[in-house]
Amino acid sequence: MNAMTREQFAEMVLEQGPIPEPFKPFATYNRDGDCIEFFAAQDMFYAERIDDLVTVYYSFETNEIVGSLIKGVEDLLEECPALQIVISDRKVRLSHLFMAHLFSRDQIDQKISDVRRLVYRKLIRVAEDTGTEADLELATV
Amino acid sequence: MAESKNDGRPSSIPALDLDDMMSVTVSADRLQAMRRLGAGHMLETAHLMPGVLARPEAIFEGIREDSDEDNSRRGGEGWRCYCGTPDTSYSLDGTKLGARKGWVYLVFVNKEKVVYNWRWERADKDDPELPQNHQKRFKERVL
Repeated sequence: MNAMTREQFAEMVLEQGPIPEPFKPFATYNRDGDCIEFFAAQDMFYAERIDDLVTVYYSFETNEIVGSLIKGVEDLLEECPALQIVISDRKVRLSHLFMAHLFSRDQIDQKISDVRRLVYRKLIRVAEDTGTEADLELATV
Repeated sequence: MAESKNDGRPSSIPALDLDDMMSVTVSADRLQAMRRLGAGHMLETAHLMPGVLARPEAIFEGIREDSDEDNSRRGGEGWRCYCGTPDTSYSLDGTKLGARKGWVYLVFVNKEKVVYNWRWERADKDDPELPQNHQKRFKERVL
């Protein structure tokens, strides 16, 4: 595949433009990074890792949580076979993925700092409030 | 969802490979996600991400155990993080803004040379061209 120039790429991206529909929270599985990204609100954001699996997206404007990234989804599915119970039609509630990570073998014996506990609580609440599900269609479920 | 002639097609763009340039493919999944987030994200995707890939301030490779980008359990060998401090940024509605002082723009590339994530993170207080905790997160700085 021939590489586009930066200018050609910019033109192609801007030609596509944003999707002209009202924003709804969504989660998407990215097979290239084996990660699920969750977007709870439409905002410009910065990222902060809270542990080896989860990165939180915060609004530049409000510093509120507006999304997250969960890495190593296929490993998590392997390590937490009980997750299969809450997967329906290859869809799973994000809050279940966060909890599965917290209860995974890697994490269960680790001390959870107050900050991390608070962030996880907020993340789970945002995921629950929006009712967002991740579609695991492309992951090895 | 609105259709576009480029939907789902991978796009290949240049990235610095130490002394030379190489081609990397931009994740179509991530591009589609950015489309749903609005004009500011599309503009940063169009301009900032390719700019950092072509002219990074630093490139980190691999990950340390219990660290970030990519799946520490799989080693992260060959995964790269390109780091830059663009002189522009954008608001959600697409208004052009200046540089974000105290922040770096990171672009993550997997070992198949697919760009799968790009985003702002806090800069290191002592070295504002590098990300916070870079010493712990990556195995090696290659640029």
